[in-house]
Amino acid sequence: MEKHPMIKIKNGKKYFYRFTLNQRIQHIILAVSVVILVLTGMPLKFHDASWAPYLYALFGGIKTAPIIHKTFGAILMALFVYHVFYLIYVIRKFHIAPMKKKNGKLSKMEVAKIVLTQNLVPNLKDAFDIRDLMKYLLFFTKVRPDGDNFTWKEKFDYWAPFWGMIIIGGSGLIIWNKELATQILPGEFLNFSLIAHSDEALLAALFLFIWHWYNVHFSISVFPMGTVFLTGYMSEELMAEEHYQYYVDIMKKAGLEDEILPPQRGQSHEPPEGGNE
Amino acid sequence: MSLKIALKNYFILFLPAITIMLFMPATSFSADIGNCLLCHKYPGISRVDEEGKLKLFYVNEDIFNNSVHAKVKCDGCHTDIKEIPHKHAIKVDCLVECHIIEPASKKKFSHKDVQTFINKSVHGVIDNKGKEKKFKEDFPTCKSCHDNPLYRPISFFKRVRPGISEQSLGRCRVCHKSEDFIYRSYNHVTTRLHPLNIAGVCAKCHNDLALVTRHGLSTKAVYSYGETFHGKAASFLDERIPNCLDCHVSKGESVHQMLTHKDPNASTSEQNKGKICTTIDCHPSASPKLAKYGVHSEFNLTQSPAQYFFTVFFIVLTGGTLLPLMVIIFLDIVRRFFPNASIGGRK
Repeated sequence: MEKHPMIKIKNGKKYFYRFTLNQRIQHIILAVSVVILVLTGMPLKFHDASWAPYLYALFGGIKTAPIIHKTFGAILMALFVYHVFYLIYVIRKFHIAPMKKKNGKLSKMEVAKIVLTQNLVPNLKDAFDIRDLMKYLLFFTKVRPDGDNFTWKEKFDYWAPFWGMIIIGGSGLIIWNKELATQILPGEFLNFSLIAHSDEALLAALFLFIWHWYNVHFSISVFPMGTVFLTGYMSEELMAEEHYQYYVDIMKKAGLEDEILPPQRGQSHEPPEGGNE
Repeated sequence: MSLKIALKNYFILFLPAITIMLFMPATSFSADIGNCLLCHKYPGISRVDEEGKLKLFYVNEDIFNNSVHAKVKCDGCHTDIKEIPHKHAIKVDCLVECHIIEPASKKKFSHKDVQTFINKSVHGVIDNKGKEKKFKEDFPTCKSCHDNPLYRPISFFKRVRPGISEQSLGRCRVCHKSEDFIYRSYNHVTTRLHPLNIAGVCAKCHNDLALVTRHGLSTKAVYSYGETFHGKAASFLDERIPNCLDCHVSKGESVHQMLTHKDPNASTSEQNKGKICTTIDCHPSASPKLAKYGVHSEFNLTQSPAQYFFTVFFIVLTGGTLLPLMVIIFLDIVRRFFPNASIGGRK
């Protein structure tokens, strides 16, 4: 029996495997680090606000909070570096190597094609899905777009922090190591680094706390919390709602064509029973 | 009787009270040999002047006794007052020869030399050509910055911290036998503006937009400093953080010798600027390029156009990202209340 079957049945309900333990641990480190970085960074950005000294004092004030901020910044940077190597490893082992085994040596174009057709890379279907979702949300149709393995929302959730890591992490490193950085860079670069670090961090924080948290916490479908980030498995109802195209593919591969739920033509107020596993 | 006459007769009206007080036992005050606190210790002592402004004449004994001028007799500064009750006191001239014999020169001490420095500094009212500067009334006088309650002694024993250093006093006691003398001398030498108040003192003028504009200054300096890490850390009470004087006063000089950045001798001049950040106490391993960091850059198209557009990019990016997503969230919430509805019953 597979350690992590694609479809797991528990109490008569189907659950679909989404994230490996490694990915879930990466996500938890990311989540904890980001929250602490926001809590220790925003009081500096909004130092004039009435709440800022109190929040900063929770982290030991000006003497300790910057140390905590730098520590978790370093953890996040290390995670980012690890994640990039992890990505390269996964793509090479599970996508490039099997193709090489099958077709022999691959050209650069073939490798590029493999990379660009990865599940998380935005594609034309995402653009159509956004268009179709807007039609649905504006009552032009009753049909929700049939999402693939990763919807455009999840790709946004993935690539926004990815870009943020480069901008915020890079600028943070420059500010942290200003003495070293200005051996090469002009001093004015610190001004730009501070603007980028602080403004991009605000964007990232708002993006996560508004958009990401709405999708994984506050939306009626998942409230109070989707648990896929903890268990790695997603309920059948949510799969059918968000990833219908992918859901149908998996059900067919598993020989469960007869049990495929009909596409969700609109959502009910009731959260799906059991939510995520 | 007009208000003016009433005001002029203020002291006469209070004469009976003052007379009674004269016969009361006077408390001993360190510098109140003239017994001025007999009247001035009362918090309500005040009058409305000819311009209609309320003038408070109350002297807080505790604050005064702990101030740098605690040993100075009242008439050491208020030289025009010869009798009690007195008439209007003229403004104190801080340059007057005052209270003590300066031990090195054996002459009566005066702050006159400070004025000599001030005159040559950026804050002097006379320019290089000996002409009076424009808007000379805007330039600071002694009391614009020196406000006793803001000052307090700091200990310089191993670490700089507020308060009297017992370790330092211990060394003084080896030669000096009078505790009062030791305490006063230590206070005199170590009393400084609280680092966190320095920016506040400068802000009185340098955050005044009208004054900044009038003098053609490029920034509301304390505001722009407040937006840097140094300024923010200072607002969170970090005393280690550099304040205005750490950069704008040349090492080994006094704040009273501060020069304009256009002067080649100024610490902030193009030639000297590189040395500011790299001092042993700050960023000794830094390159002089670090000093090119725009401490006083503002979100201002004229002053810092590149940074202005860079910031605008992030504002647009933030708005352009979040607003459409928030619209989608709103529509999603609405849609969930009408899951099967569509315009014209479309499929």
